[in-house]
Amino acid sequence: MSALITITILALLLLYLGLFKAKKALLPVALIGLMVALVLSLMEWDSNAAPIFSNMMLYDRFAVAFSGITIFLTILIIALSKDYFERISSNVAEYYALILFSLAGIILMVSYHNLSMLFIGIEIMSVSLYILAGIKKRDFASNEAALKYFLMGAFSTGILLFGVTLIYGASGSFDLEGIKQYILKDPTAVSPLLYTGITLLIVGLSFKVGAAPFHFWVPDVYEGSPSLISAYMSTVVKVAGFAAFLRLIMFSFAPLQDFWIPMIIGMSVLSLLIGNVTAVYQQHFKRMLAYSSISHVGYMLFAIIALNGSSDNAVFVYAAAYSVATIIAFGVLILLQGQVGNDSFDSFNGLARKNPFLALTLTIAMLSLAGIPLTAGFIGKFMMFSKALSSYHIFLVVFAALNAMIGIFYYFKVIVAMYFKEEDRKELIVPVYFKLVLGFSALVTIALGVYPDFIASLI
Amino acid sequence: MLLINLVWLVPLFPLVGFLINGLGRNVLPKGVIGFIGSLSILLSFIVSIGIFTELNASDIKSFYIPLFDWIHTAAVKVPFAFQIDPLSSIMLLIVTGIGFLIHVYSIGYMKLDNGFGKYFSYLNLFIFFMLLLILGSNYVVMFIGWEGVGLCSYLLIGFWFTNPSFATAAKKAFVMNRIGDLGFLIAIFIIFATFGSVEFGDVFMQAAKMESGNTTLLWITMLLFVGAIGKSAQIPLFTWLPDAMAGPTPVSALIHAATMVTGGVYMIIRSNILFTLSPVTLHLVAVIGIITAILAAAIAVSQTDIKKVLAYSTVSQLGYMFLGLGVGAYTGALFHVITHAFFKALLFLCAGSVIHAMSNEQDMRKMGGLKKKLPITFVTMMAGTLAISGIPPFSGFFSKDEILAHAYEQSPLLWVIGVITALLTSFYMFRMLYLTFYKGFRGTQEQEHHLHESPATMTIPLVILAILAVFGGLIGIPEVFGGHHWLAGFLAPIFEHPGLVIVAETPMNHSTELILMAVSVGGAIIAALYAYSRYVKGSHIPAVDGSSRDLLSKLSYNKFYVDEVYEFIIGRPLNALSSFFYKIIDKGAIDGFVNGLGKATSEGSKVLRLLQSGNVGFYIFMMITGIVALLVYGFYNI
Repeated sequence: MSALITITILALLLLYLGLFKAKKALLPVALIGLMVALVLSLMEWDSNAAPIFSNMMLYDRFAVAFSGITIFLTILIIALSKDYFERISSNVAEYYALILFSLAGIILMVSYHNLSMLFIGIEIMSVSLYILAGIKKRDFASNEAALKYFLMGAFSTGILLFGVTLIYGASGSFDLEGIKQYILKDPTAVSPLLYTGITLLIVGLSFKVGAAPFHFWVPDVYEGSPSLISAYMSTVVKVAGFAAFLRLIMFSFAPLQDFWIPMIIGMSVLSLLIGNVTAVYQQHFKRMLAYSSISHVGYMLFAIIALNGSSDNAVFVYAAAYSVATIIAFGVLILLQGQVGNDSFDSFNGLARKNPFLALTLTIAMLSLAGIPLTAGFIGKFMMFSKALSSYHIFLVVFAALNAMIGIFYYFKVIVAMYFKEEDRKELIVPVYFKLVLGFSALVTIALGVYPDFIASLI
Repeated sequence: MLLINLVWLVPLFPLVGFLINGLGRNVLPKGVIGFIGSLSILLSFIVSIGIFTELNASDIKSFYIPLFDWIHTAAVKVPFAFQIDPLSSIMLLIVTGIGFLIHVYSIGYMKLDNGFGKYFSYLNLFIFFMLLLILGSNYVVMFIGWEGVGLCSYLLIGFWFTNPSFATAAKKAFVMNRIGDLGFLIAIFIIFATFGSVEFGDVFMQAAKMESGNTTLLWITMLLFVGAIGKSAQIPLFTWLPDAMAGPTPVSALIHAATMVTGGVYMIIRSNILFTLSPVTLHLVAVIGIITAILAAAIAVSQTDIKKVLAYSTVSQLGYMFLGLGVGAYTGALFHVITHAFFKALLFLCAGSVIHAMSNEQDMRKMGGLKKKLPITFVTMMAGTLAISGIPPFSGFFSKDEILAHAYEQSPLLWVIGVITALLTSFYMFRMLYLTFYKGFRGTQEQEHHLHESPATMTIPLVILAILAVFGGLIGIPEVFGGHHWLAGFLAPIFEHPGLVIVAETPMNHSTELILMAVSVGGAIIAALYAYSRYVKGSHIPAVDGSSRDLLSKLSYNKFYVDEVYEFIIGRPLNALSSFFYKIIDKGAIDGFVNGLGKATSEGSKVLRLLQSGNVGFYIFMMITGIVALLVYGFYNI
């Protein structure tokens, strides 16, 4: 719990720093504060996991692991923000504060034990993101992204809340344990209200993680938002959404899996198909990443389809692999946008000659996203596929493997452009923070791919 | 049994040498590389001598030295273990001993080559794998060595790979060997399926209880023999060996004469129990052996490239060894392996010395009169020639006649062909000697100007090998000359299996044996004299390429068109099939399908992307459609 408190206080502190014009201190304070929060949260590992605050929250291993990874990813992203916010806006302190507020919401989302906490967590996170998406005040695309995100987000929140209400109506409880007990009491005589409630909750959460057919906001919002915020949304926010999704299903709805598994399969297939196929045609790197993030949701849903004790593990590894690679991709994207002003695939031509380091790290990231062995992405896909196979979803795995092939096509487009297309270009200037983050992320990607055990058996 | 337990040192030294020379090939000076390469083999040789002495003194004649569990699963257990017995200890001596001499020789021979370090690292690696082949206590370890020497052979044949025809020769050797290797591999699978183990001890113990002519044994031995055919260049897979002469000459001496190519013979001797219980295979071995022997000899008589003559001669001598195996004279075959290793290594190194002196000229028509300029090479080569021609008391006489005597017992026809081969051998060897060393010099003035005897690093190995070639036969003096055939006594334990002891057929009547010997020796001498009258007295020089020849000479000169026939019956149909699969099946059907999928995907992409219209109202409409679909599904499934 101390992580949540630390992050909230840190956000307030940053607002004050902004007030007193201590702009130079913002980034170091944010980084140090987050590291403290990370350590504090990891220290609660193995604490005897009983619900706290009148059963509102449960800081179990699951919660520690996912708050750990989200805080860690936030550190990486904030480290990339050096000089970034200053360029696009004058309200820099608010930036950091908003990111941290949304992170606080995320900590709630991964440790809730009560549906009201889930809802509050999602709202804290979402409201911060609505603002962040539109923070380029004079930029039309940014405004459009914020508005679209807000409209559709509000819509989906309504659906989610409706689902919560129906579940309360059926079971008389917001508490995960209470709902589970209601279902277990007599699984054959569960009220239809509860089933409808489950359906609507699934819809709401699918919207948050960007699963098809509730993915429509993803490409537009990712493209319009500032790239750093897109990076944050497609990694930290997505991981948090999945953690919340998985927690709800594992805790309360597992006994009714015959009911909801086909729904999830349908969404998984749609996400894979729409994400991968549409990504093929994209000409811009950022939009391609948006579609690819939809397809990765399709893979991650496998863990929920083949629900058992190790699902959290699989999602954790996959999310870590996917997020680290995505951060590299966005890191390079930010440099490219800032210095070339364009993110079409052609703008990568000849990058390997001038910026071999950037090209190498981006190649590692693309290989990982494509799921090539010796990268973390392969291990993630391997775990997902073997989970799905262990519950005999053979056709689903075949379908997913075909989609992974399509994925290779558009991920490799970048590599081909960087290494095999010649073009005279200027060398990109890579600030030292970027070097650290990109190099470190690439190392993690390879390390996870070569020796997955060091995090795979964590939870 | 100190050294026997330290047998792993023997392959370790060359491996270390390989690593040092391989990693330091661009850094270390040539002197150091040559020293390390030779020293590593010398150390192995010293340990091998120790092992041999210990084994000779010991009452136990078979040691099993496990190193580690290599493959260990419920169904398959393959230890990485070595076996020391008379057979492997003798082979150790040959490989490390001759290997050492050839390493020393190479220091002088390769002195000016840019790939000096690479060369020595390959050579060390070869010795390492050859030692694995010999020492392995099961078929799998043997197979590693088998494949490893094949690889090194490929690398060394193509050592000057910038010459496309050399690279092709390397490829040819590799492909031909693979055909054999496949047979060997399948044999190992069947052995495992039949006996549940690949360990020599387990397999032979169980095999000894089987009946002669067992079908499974027939399959195993046939496939093992296919492996041996590939490695030891027998009909129909012999054509790679003459082409393998593209490699540096010391390589030809070490790999393509003395050691690797005798791997097939070693493997069959090792598996003697399996072959003895498969008489059909043995007959086939004898027939293939003798046909190879005479065919290769008939080709050798009209070759003009000095190394090609020796290459065909090697094929022919290997044929003798297989004849020996086929008639059950395992000891005789190994005896010939040993003496052949001495004199053929010697002959190749002499040829190398000649080529070295002639500024890389290999055509004998351009040589002649080298006797004065290269006296040491001449004398040693004379010794080698006498040995291979089977003139007593040189080494080749004893081993060849032992094989021929056993062949006579099996069938006089085999003996007759064997003796004709011996005549041809004597003829082409003396022809080579006369063309090279007698009469006047036929090369260019510049070549004549450069003529010189080779340096000491090259001549000393020649002298040592010449001594071995002359006296090597003494380890197997037959009873007819009052000897007691030390080699046969030493090897006896490897033919003793529980419940079954394999002995070569009882020695024949001594007077018959003497008559047989007299015929073959007399024939060899006459052939040598005929060569003298034709090439020294008659000053005959082989015709230039493209001149008209009579039929037999034409066949021989063109190697009986074997390569062309293979090209016609295998190469062309295979190419035609390949091009059919490429053009029709691959380009048409498979690519069409795959590219079609790709096109369909990108077309689909164009359509699907239209869903993303940018209109929020449309998005929400789609989402509601999704929600309704889920609710409808839920409604029917509650």
